[in-house]
This record gives sequence, C-alpha cells and structure tokens, in this order.
Amino acid sequence: MIKVFTDGLSFALPLLIMAVGAIYSEKSGVTNLAVEGFQGFGAFIGALVAVMLMPLLPEGSQVPIYAALLFAAVGGGVYACLHALLCINFKANQVISGVVVNILAVALTTFYTSAVNAKLSGTASNKFILGVSNRYTIPGLSKIPWIGGLFQKMYPFEWIIIVLVIFFWYLMYKTRFGMRMRACGENPNALDAAGGNVVKTRWIAVIISGALSGIGGMCYAYSISANYSPSIYMGFGYLAIAAMIFGNWQIPSTALVCLIFGFARAGGQQLCIAMKLSSNYTDLFNMLPYVLTLLLLIFFSKRNHPPQAAGQAWDSSKR
Amino acid sequence: MEDYIVEFRHITKCFPGIIANSDVSFGIKEGEVFALLGENGAGKSTLMSILFGMYQPDAGEMYVKGQKVKFHSANDATAMNIGMVHQHFKLVDNYTIAENIVLGMEPMTRRFGIFPSVDMDKANKEIADLSREYGLEVNPTDLIQDVPVSVRQRVEILKMLYRKAEIMIFDEPTAVLTPSEIDFLLKIIDGMRAAGKTIILITHKIEEIKQIADRCAILCRGKLVDVLNVQDASAQEMANMMVGREVDLVTHKDPAHIGKEVLNVSHLTVENEHHFPLVKDASFSIHSGEIFAIAGVSGNGQTQISDAITGLLPIASGTVTLNGKDITNASIRERAKAGISYIPEDRQSTGVVMDFTLAENLALRRYRKEPYSRHNILNFDKIRENADSLIEKYDIRSGQGGKSIVRSMSGGNQQKAIVGREIEEHTDLIIFVQPTRGLDIGAISNIHSQILKERERGAAILLISLELSEVMQLADTIGVIFGGELLKIAPADSLTTNEVGQYMMGVREG
Amino acid sequence: MNENKKKGLAGLLTSEKWANFTVSVLAIVLMLITSSIMLLVMGKDPVVAFKSFLQGCGMLPKASYGGGSGMLSDFFDYLNILAPMLLASLSFIVAFKTGLFNIGISGQMLLSGFTATVMVGYIKDLSPWIAKPLVILIGIVVGGLMGALIGFLKYQFNIHEVVSTIMVNYIISYITGFYINSKYVDMLTRSSRICSPAARLTWTKVQIGGVSCNIPLGVVIALLCAFIVQFIFSRTVFGFELKAVGTSRGCARYIGVNVANSMVMSMALSGVFAGLAGVTYYLGYTNTIVPKTLPGMGYDAIAVALLGNSSPIGAIFASAIVTVFQSGANYMSSSIGVAKEIASLITGILLLFAACGEYMKILGARKVQRDEEKRITARQNAAASPGDPKAGPVGGDKEKGGNER
Repeated sequence: MIKVFTDGLSFALPLLIMAVGAIYSEKSGVTNLAVEGFQGFGAFIGALVAVMLMPLLPEGSQVPIYAALLFAAVGGGVYACLHALLCINFKANQVISGVVVNILAVALTTFYTSAVNAKLSGTASNKFILGVSNRYTIPGLSKIPWIGGLFQKMYPFEWIIIVLVIFFWYLMYKTRFGMRMRACGENPNALDAAGGNVVKTRWIAVIISGALSGIGGMCYAYSISANYSPSIYMGFGYLAIAAMIFGNWQIPSTALVCLIFGFARAGGQQLCIAMKLSSNYTDLFNMLPYVLTLLLLIFFSKRNHPPQAAGQAWDSSKR
Repeated sequence: MEDYIVEFRHITKCFPGIIANSDVSFGIKEGEVFALLGENGAGKSTLMSILFGMYQPDAGEMYVKGQKVKFHSANDATAMNIGMVHQHFKLVDNYTIAENIVLGMEPMTRRFGIFPSVDMDKANKEIADLSREYGLEVNPTDLIQDVPVSVRQRVEILKMLYRKAEIMIFDEPTAVLTPSEIDFLLKIIDGMRAAGKTIILITHKIEEIKQIADRCAILCRGKLVDVLNVQDASAQEMANMMVGREVDLVTHKDPAHIGKEVLNVSHLTVENEHHFPLVKDASFSIHSGEIFAIAGVSGNGQTQISDAITGLLPIASGTVTLNGKDITNASIRERAKAGISYIPEDRQSTGVVMDFTLAENLALRRYRKEPYSRHNILNFDKIRENADSLIEKYDIRSGQGGKSIVRSMSGGNQQKAIVGREIEEHTDLIIFVQPTRGLDIGAISNIHSQILKERERGAAILLISLELSEVMQLADTIGVIFGGELLKIAPADSLTTNEVGQYMMGVREG
Repeated sequence: MNENKKKGLAGLLTSEKWANFTVSVLAIVLMLITSSIMLLVMGKDPVVAFKSFLQGCGMLPKASYGGGSGMLSDFFDYLNILAPMLLASLSFIVAFKTGLFNIGISGQMLLSGFTATVMVGYIKDLSPWIAKPLVILIGIVVGGLMGALIGFLKYQFNIHEVVSTIMVNYIISYITGFYINSKYVDMLTRSSRICSPAARLTWTKVQIGGVSCNIPLGVVIALLCAFIVQFIFSRTVFGFELKAVGTSRGCARYIGVNVANSMVMSMALSGVFAGLAGVTYYLGYTNTIVPKTLPGMGYDAIAVALLGNSSPIGAIFASAIVTVFQSGANYMSSSIGVAKEIASLITGILLLFAACGEYMKILGARKVQRDEEKRITARQNAAASPGDPKAGPVGGDKEKGGNER
C-alpha cells in the first residue's frame, strides 16, 4: 500500500509538470502535440550535462542531478522555440508542426546520443547511464497512518515539481501575464485590441511549455529508467496531453487527474505482484488512463472547454 | 486649423490591387459627433483603422491634438486617448465583463505584500463605478458568453472609457442592435458628447447621422467627396454623394402576375439548441410570380426562416409545403430537388467553396446530374461548358475564367456566380437572403434586375433583406418580423416605409 | 507572361499552379544543404554519403555484393519499405482532404498487422493463395473499422479526431503488447514470433538473374491505391463531395452533402489504407511485431503526405525520396562510418522544411507585393508632378482583371 503511494506520486508528478507545460502552450493558443519531443530533447540536454559532470565530481554526488534538471529545462525551452517558430511565425499547421517536432526530436537525440557516447567513451551505446536519484523520507509526516506513504522515499525532484506547479498555477491564474495568456488562447484579437502582444505571449508560453516538459522527461530518466536512451519516447508526453484534456485545461483538476493516473499505474503494478500475475498485466493498467480519457470525452465532451483559439495561427493583418 | 483634435492630411492607403484611401484630408473638432458616411468598401473602416494605429498610411500625415503622430500599433493610439469599438467585438467569451475591460491595463496589487497579482476586487469596483457614471449598467462579474449583444457593446464602450479615451471611434455600432437599443446607444453617445468626448461614427445609415451627428464626411471609393454640416444637407443629397451619382430610387417593376401557391409555411417554429424559440409560429405563403419580402432588424429570426425552409436548421414545429408536397422532414438535398434555390446570407462560408475553381462552384447544384456526372464519375468537359455559358450570361468576371479560384474573385462577382448558379436551376421557389450586402451600386442593380426577371418567369421569390429600401423597391408582399414573430403581412403597396419601420421596431397594431 | 518570368522564385511560390511543387523542391534542396553541412562538420564527404544511400537501396551499384545478392535485391528491399510508407501517407491524405487529421495511422497499422499476424500468420500449412488475400482483407477490414470508429466518435460525440486517435493509439499499443507478451512472444528476440512464409506479403528468395530477391507484393498494392485515391479525388462525385466537406463544411451542407456521413466514410477509407500499410509493414517488411511500440512510420507518413503536397501522385515521389534514406541507411553507415540514425535525422530535417511550406509561400507573396509596390511608386513618381498633390495613385487595378473587390 505504501509502495502505491510512493511510486504513484513519483510517476504522477513528472507527468503533472509536463501536463502543466502543455496547458501553458494550449492556453496561449498553440496546440501542443510536441510534449513528447520536448521532454525527450530536454532530458537529452540534461543527461548530456550530467554525464559530462559526473567524471568531475566524487562518486555519488547529487550535483549532476540538479544540473541535469536545470539544463533539461533549458534544453526543452530552447527546443520548444522550433515549435513556436513554426506555429507562431511561420503559421504552419500546429498539429503537423507538433508531429514534425516530435519526429525530429527522436532523430536528433538518438543520433547524437550515439555520437556523443562514441566521442566520450568510444563505445557505440545509445544510452547515457545516469543512475537513480537518492530518495528521502520526511521524518514526521511519513508516520501519518494511511497517507504517510506519500512522504516516504521521495525523490528530491518531487519537491521541486510541487513548488514549480504552485508557482505556475499562480502565474497563470493570478498575474497579469497569466490573464493575458489565457485571453490569447480564447480570442487573440481581444488581447491585441487591448494592447497586449499576442506573438510575444505565445512565444513565452510555448517556451515555458518546453522547459517544463524537459524537467518532466529528466525526472523519468532519473527515476524509472536510470539512464537516458531513446526509450524515453514511450508516450508519457501523450499521456500528459491526455491528463490535460481530462483535467479540462485547468491546473488543479489536471493535478488530480495525474495523481489518479499515477496511483492507478502503481496500484496496478502492486496488484499484479500481490496476485502473482505476470508483469504483462501491468500493461492493461497502463492502458487505463487512455481508456478513461476517451470515456470521459464520450460522456462529457460538452463540458470540456478547450481554448477556443488553439490551433489557429494568428494573423495580425486579419483582425 | 488649430481647433481640430484630429486632422488627416493627404492620407493614402493601398492594399494589393485596391486603393482603400486616396488623398483624404479633413479635420474633426473636439467635442463633436462626427460621422463618416460611405458605402461598403468606401474606405471608412480603413481610415479609422489608420487613426487607431492598426494600419500605417502609405502616404500623408495625421495630426492628433495638434501634434503630428505616427502610430505603429493600437497601443500608440490608446496612449493618445483614442479608443475604438470594432464592428466585430473583441472580447474574451469566458472572461467576466470586468476582466475584459481591464485586460491590457490590469490594476495590480501585492499578495501578502510580496507576490504581484491582478487586483480583481479593485477592478470590479472601478467598473461598477464607471458604468454607473455613464449610465451603462453592467454587472462586472457576469461572463461575456452569458450576456446579450447589446451588453457586449456596452462593455466595449466601457473599455474605451476605462482607458480614458477622449476620441471614440464607433464602427457601424447599430448594425447588431434592435431599434430600442439603437435609441439607447444614441442617447449614450449624446451623453458622452455632453461630457466633452469627441465621437467618430462610421456608418452607412443616413437616418442615424441625421439624428445624432454634427458634421459628416462622405467617402466614395476611397476618396473624400465632401464634409458637410449635417443640419444643412438633406438625406437625398447625402445619399447621392455617398454613391457618387444620382440614386435611382425607383426600380422599374412591372405589375405582378400572381399565380398558384408555391410555398406554404404554416405555424413554423424554430428553436436554438437551448430550446429558445428563434422563430415563433410563423405562417405565410408565396405564389408564383410573387416577391414576398421579409423586413426586419438583423437577428430577429429572418435567416432562421430561410434555413428552416431549406433544411439547414431543424424545424421544431409547424409545416413547410412546396407545391402541395409536405417537405417539413425532407433532407436538404431532397428539398433542393423538389424545387428550392437558395442564395444564402453568408456567401463566402456557405454559398461557395472558396478554394474550388469557379467552374466547380458553378456546378455545385448540378454535379450529381447527367451529363455533368455519370455513374458517379464527373465529366469536367461538361462542367467547363456549363461554367463558360454561365460566366457569359451573368457577366461573372474573374482572372482566368472558369479556372479561377473563387477566393481570388471580388465579392460582387462571387455573388453573381451564386445568383447565376441558383437561378439557372429554374426552380419554383428562389430564396434570396441579403443578396446585395456589401456590393457596389452596379452589382446591386444587376442583382435586382435578375430578381425581377425571375419574378417575370413565374418563380415564387422569398426575399430577406435588412435594407428597408430594397424591400420597398422589390416586394409585392411584405412580412415584417420582430422577435421571431411575423407581426404584419400585407401587400407592399398598402404600406409606407414609415409603417414598415414602425413594425420593425415591434409596434403592434391596435 | 514576361512579368511572370521576371518574378523568379517568388513568382513560382505565388503561382497557383507551381507553388506547392516549388515548396517541395525547396524543402528537398534545403534538406540537402543542411545535411551536407552536418556531414561536412563530421568530416564526411556528403557526395559519398548520398551516393551510398542510393547504393544501399539498389539505385546505384555497390562496390561488392555478398553471396547471392545484387543490386536488384537491394532495390526490392527498398520497395518493401516504400509500400507501407506510401500507403500510410495515402491514409493521411484521404482524411486530410476531408479536413480531418488521422494521427492514428500508427495504431491502425499496429492493430491490423497484429490481427493479420495472429489470425493468419500463425496458421500452419495454409496455402499462400488463401493466406495472402486473407491478410490483405484483414488489413482492409480492421483498418477501415478503426477509422470509422474515429469518424463516428467525431460526429456522434464531437470528440476531435486528433485527441481520439492519440488515445486509441496507446490503447492499441498496450493491448497488443499485452497479448504478444503473454501469448505470441519469441523469448529470444522479445518480439512476436515470425509469421509463416505463406502469410507474408513478400515472396522470399526468388531467384532473378542469379540473385536472390525478396519481392514485395505491397508495392503493387500501394501504387494501385495511389492511383485509386487520385482517381477518387479528381474524377468522382464521392471525392468531389469529400473535398467540399474538407474545404468548406458550411457550403457542403448547403448543397446537400451529408457531412457527418462523409466524415465517417473518409476516416474509414483513411483507415483502410492505414490497415493496408500495417499488413504490408508487419507481414511484408518486418515480419514480426515489437510489443508496445507504435510504428514511427505512421507519423513519418504525415509529413511525407505534406511533402507530396497531399496529392497521391506527389506522395509516390515523396515517399520514394524519404524511403531512400531509411532503406539505404545500413549500407551508408557501414560504408562511411556514420551512425545509421542519421537517416532519421535527415528525414526529420526534410519534414521540418516541408512543414515550413506555408511560410515560404508567404515570403514569396511578400516579395511579389513589394515588387509591385515599387512599380506603383515608380509609376507615381513618374506621373505626378510635384505641384499637383491631387494626382493620386490610380491604376494597379488594370492588370488584376476582375479583382475590383
């Protein structure tokens, strides 16, 4: 039971930060199918920095992890500029841009992981070995019955994500930038007429989206797989999109959805172990979020409110 | 010269293939209501967009408050206390009224003394005060999507006031309003003039100018015709200047040869998705050789009547009978086959496929029939021949004839293509909705003569128009619609323009 | 006429006839330049590299061949990848012309490939004359049903097809992964057991002129389908109506087209091609299914369709080009020593430039407009004497014919 909480949370939070990223982009009016590519590319840059730092630091140092997280955000943000450029300035179709950005991310990172490995170690491996982050248990809170598991064996990045999500929730709903950004995704002409800068707002939102996705990808590399390899593109970016839709493009409800997805996944794994089922059955649990999202849309699609202007390029001459 | 608050000097603005403003010079005085009169495409909106900083002129200078200005964006204009209410409102539907108003100029506060955040409490209070001050009552916390058009317009006006605008531009503000709402708006404008604001009113409705404006500039095809004191000029004079020649208010119309009943609409009710009735219990019939015109202010249910007859909207109750055959539940295609042609209101998103060629568009009613297709295979030779003959017959001008993409054609020629295509079906019933909207005088008289020709042929014609003059010119029978109800149906020669206008504003008999 | 020539590239980019073609060619040229620079940075000769790609897919002779194989066998292997790529891009095109995005090609490919493998591929002693048509039929039916489902979800519940296809993709990925892992897995390769030669859409080890070739059936199907799609959209009433729905839903409804029906039909047809792509990919090319892995081709195809200007004939050329890199990668890698993943990178770059097509057209239009403005100003300056401010700019309309607006 405790493991369900611990694992569920450590899966849900990186998913949440990616979903928040996707929300930012879409709320500003740029459809974002590129989360998968953002998280992979961001994590690639982060992992690259980490493997370059590791030889310089003593064994077991946690510094590379924080450096990796920082640079994953930078890498994701920089890579997101491509999507922003295509969608905002080049007025490319945003769905197609997302697909192309993903394809290119996979190709770039796969090729350069091998190339860098060949340079650094002389082997043709397509992995950066990272190791797993240390885990910490919060002394008092972890003793609480039932929910204590939430505070046991936490990755430090989980705390970082929680702080970031709160910060970006505040930014989106309470500040001037957030108010303008949300207007931008509903009716960019309104923002333009009110003196806001549609292009700038969307650029910032898409870059934030890339940075947050990069952090999410990096966390998965440090928790689930302990290395960076092309298997990072296993669809968590799309799962984040599912969470965003399920959460109706709102950060609090998306957070709840991510927790449900995380606990369902961890619960499924524990259930399989408890019932001595083969690990194959976890795949059926991993499928649940997608089925739930589809069912939700079938029954409640009228209540869902996607940003009205998402997907349309804004043309300043056609206002 | 010094007392002009806004002055245009030799403004010229070109768009690819069109000169929107050509050497326009005039001045606007502080504290007056200044009207800009002209037909669609005369360049009124372009000129005001230049004043509001949305376009930059190709040549010429602009002076605001005696100062030479060059605006690069709407922000620059706002900084000079210029505000504009656009024809299409620029509001965020899921924001509250107050949020919409303060957007771009949000009042800020610091939460717990540190975190900057938008102060909505202060905004709500300020908006409430502002709306009371100017008599523009709104509830600041209502969502835009829940309030009617007239309130949205108030929000746009409040937006200008919140930005301390002293020069206020209204682009066709009355187009979307009911008569009583128009009266209210004009009163508000009057009040703002009293408060010392300068108002610029873009319109093509001379009555409104007569009612409210002090002075008026008339534009025709991008050029300034004259600037007049409204009191000194008659409506007829202004109309003549607006169109650039003597307006022939009388169209030659032969007496009607009324034949058998073609269309019968009985107790028709149309509802929107929330089961709110848009058309209430409407009954009328149209005979062969008769033009039945529905007059009314925009948004009173006229387009719903035509959409219900053609099958684009579902009928909630009542029946529609064509040539004695009940078509109430027939599909769109079955109705067209039964003998209905339809010139829709929105030509670009309904009447044509903009990215198809002219030839393909001219075949839209025929492509399923032989010889244009056989066994589901299209015959492009026949489609081209069809196009060539229609292009010739209806004088449809385009760059490359049938091969031109319709998007590249002018609105007038698009409309000619639609009218030609629909008329050529020689159906018993032809529905025209706003057939001349946005067209120049030449195209308008062309379309009018086509309508009259069809009447001669013996078609039953349903004409829906927002232009009362058009209704009065063409109709044999007039039905006046208000709030979804047909308030009055009478032969056209038994009604005067004034009477029809009264009914349009919802005045009932007795 | 003369003027058109003078406008050069910008003129081509704005001409209705040549714009799309020019964009595709530009994308290819830009891709060649970019990847050449990349190769040069790595110290490789780009000409040699591109040549080795062509050698790898049997378009140019290699220096030497292994026992029993030759240029022809390489070419047939190339065609074996080309077939699903072309079919998948046709799948995208059909939906796209109707204004719909089929992002679910991957899932539809996987499910149809899986179904055919399980239902036919593992039956022993089945005649190839029964097995092969059966596999194709399964591809058509499974793909078509999946596509129709997406169309149905769209018109019945108003679920955007991009969203539903993403969900369905992963549902299919996990469910087929589950079955493969629990029932059909080959313990050694960790992917599904290979299917019987009878069911494969490739005739293996056919001797032609002394070399052993694997002849793909799929490429015949794919080319046939390309011409069918071309025919549907250029000549038939059905295709005409789909295009009308795709470009103006309002007008299509107005002329009496059943829009909901058209969307379901179009998605079903799109699914049919995706299903065919699936069976030609899994039973023609790979011969096995890696569990829980959506074929990247389903996404590549979207961009291939784009590169081919969403025309079926264009897609033939576009997929032929893209496949060169994917099929020739191994030989290129072994002959010049660059990791073969560079092939995907080159493809990605090509697709990126193809996605910029709209912007290239905008740039072209801007250039043409600037030139025109320059001409107008020049004419004005020549015409207007300085003392006469009334001499406004008149003209410019003349060339435009009916464009009075």
